[in-house]
Amino acid sequence: MKMSLIKSAVVASVLAIASSTVMAQDARSLDQLLNFVKQGQATEAKENKAREARFKNAKNRQAQLLAEAKVMRKNEEDRSARLENTFEQNELKVAEKQRQLKERLGTLTELFGHLTSTAGDLRSSFGNSLISAQYPGRDEFLDELIAKMSGAEQLPSIEEIERLWFEIQREMTESGKVVSFTAEVAKPGGEKESRTVVRVGTFNVISDEGRYLQYIAETNTLAELARQPSGAYIGWASDLAGSTSGKVPFGADPTGPSGGSFLAALINSPTIEERWHQGGNVGYAITAVGALAFLLAIWRLIVLAAMSSKVSAQLKSDKANTNNPLGRVLMVHEQNPTMDTETLELKLSEAVMKEVPKIEFGLNLLKIIAAVAPLMGLLGTVTGMIITFQAITIFGAGDPKAMAGGISGALVTTVLGLLVAIPTVLLHTVTNGQAKKVIHVLDEQSTGIIAEHTEAQLGK
Amino acid sequence: MYLNDVLDFIFRFMEQGGPVLWFIAALTFALWTLVFERFWYFNTSLRQDLDSAISTWEARRERKSWNARQIRRQLISQANLKINAGLPMIKTLVALAPLFGLMGTVTGMIEVFNIMAVTGGGDAKSMAGGVSKATIPTMAGMVAALSGVFANTYVTQIAERESVLLEDHLTTDH
Repeated sequence: MKMSLIKSAVVASVLAIASSTVMAQDARSLDQLLNFVKQGQATEAKENKAREARFKNAKNRQAQLLAEAKVMRKNEEDRSARLENTFEQNELKVAEKQRQLKERLGTLTELFGHLTSTAGDLRSSFGNSLISAQYPGRDEFLDELIAKMSGAEQLPSIEEIERLWFEIQREMTESGKVVSFTAEVAKPGGEKESRTVVRVGTFNVISDEGRYLQYIAETNTLAELARQPSGAYIGWASDLAGSTSGKVPFGADPTGPSGGSFLAALINSPTIEERWHQGGNVGYAITAVGALAFLLAIWRLIVLAAMSSKVSAQLKSDKANTNNPLGRVLMVHEQNPTMDTETLELKLSEAVMKEVPKIEFGLNLLKIIAAVAPLMGLLGTVTGMIITFQAITIFGAGDPKAMAGGISGALVTTVLGLLVAIPTVLLHTVTNGQAKKVIHVLDEQSTGIIAEHTEAQLGK
Repeated sequence: MYLNDVLDFIFRFMEQGGPVLWFIAALTFALWTLVFERFWYFNTSLRQDLDSAISTWEARRERKSWNARQIRRQLISQANLKINAGLPMIKTLVALAPLFGLMGTVTGMIEVFNIMAVTGGGDAKSMAGGVSKATIPTMAGMVAALSGVFANTYVTQIAERESVLLEDHLTTDH
């Protein structure tokens, strides 16, 4: 190491000298150059001497330093041995102390174990509990306690253990109560306001407007559910919010805290309009057919009502009026009063035949729609199922959510079909009844009316 | 006190079965109203109507001409209209009851699948509500239809019998 240092130093100096002499003066002639070299050799020899002396000096100092370092190492080794000794002694002492600690804690160790696990359980159950919305700060206490217990340095104080006991007891007591308190409520729009809310045990929280709320554990706030349950439940909720004592019916969601999974599912459930769109093209077709049936039935009902009122007016009058079917049938007799009975009967039945299609117009279509609508619904359901099963063949049946959504969409068309069919059947019955009444009068009673007329004429 | 309990029970049952159950209840109510209306008619004013038809017929001087036969036909037709009034509606309502039940089933199933789509099918408890909404209306529809079938058959039989009896009473002189 030292040798290489020296060598590199020598090489460096030789190079430096060569360059400096060449650069210092320009040789005018070969003699001059020779002279320069000679001079240079003389100076170099002198310089080398001085350098050698310097190196010798340095070498001597190195040896001295080495000796010093050796002494120092010896000292340090001694110290290390000493410290090791002390460490071993301390080790023994620590073991002794730990044994002593264990001895003195005795049965307390078990207690602290239970305390830790209870605190841990409480931490998770308080996180979801609606009661946390009413009493904030319980989480921080539990977190501190758990941190203290998991570290070995500190023991929980009696106050802290008693506070834990108190918190458990409070949770238990509060879960059996219906209480109102003021809390920050986040609206679906995002704005927050301070409201009086009513908490029903650990099941539900409702606001004073009768809205169901959800407890969001992460932010320790109450939020209004974006979609609320159906009418009756809202009414009960506002009844409860408004009442001060006594019994009030109320729809609680028993599926758990934080608003309950059942209530939370409301947010994801589609509205009626969304459901209608789920029916797809078949659904729209059913709706169109239903609208057609409805309009047709209304139109026929109005026409038939006007017709039967005219027929009843005709029944009372002696003169045949051509503005109604019965009048037109009676007209046949009126125009040919001397006809023999057989020809009259034939003529009358011919006239009736002419009237019947006009009266029954559209009724068959209504009947067909009533029969076809459920079939269309079935068609929509089956095509929906086919699509669902195709999705299963592609993506596998691993996701029951996707599958169930498809199936519930498919069933919508069945509902639509039934929703069209049921009123159409009813409307058909009503319209058919009206038409049948008029036809009855034409078909079975027209000849009787004529007979009465002729007899009355004869009687005079 | 008991009335309250009964009402409470009914409302809870209706809540379990969903909104379709109310329609089935209305349908059953209409059905039985019509049936009882018919019973009422058969037991009270039917006699009067038949008697007036028979007496009109009996009051005639002759009962064998073409005119007489046509008037007889008219009398029977008028009486039949009264006897059969409401019967087609009863029949229709009986046919509609199972359709309503089916509708309840399908809407209930939609709810079940919807909850499944939200929860992933892991929560059997929340799905049970939809299942009861699916099954209760079916049962109610069946009960309404079955009770209606018997009532309908009975009422139709009476109507037919009375109509035939009337025709037999209006005798022609040959």
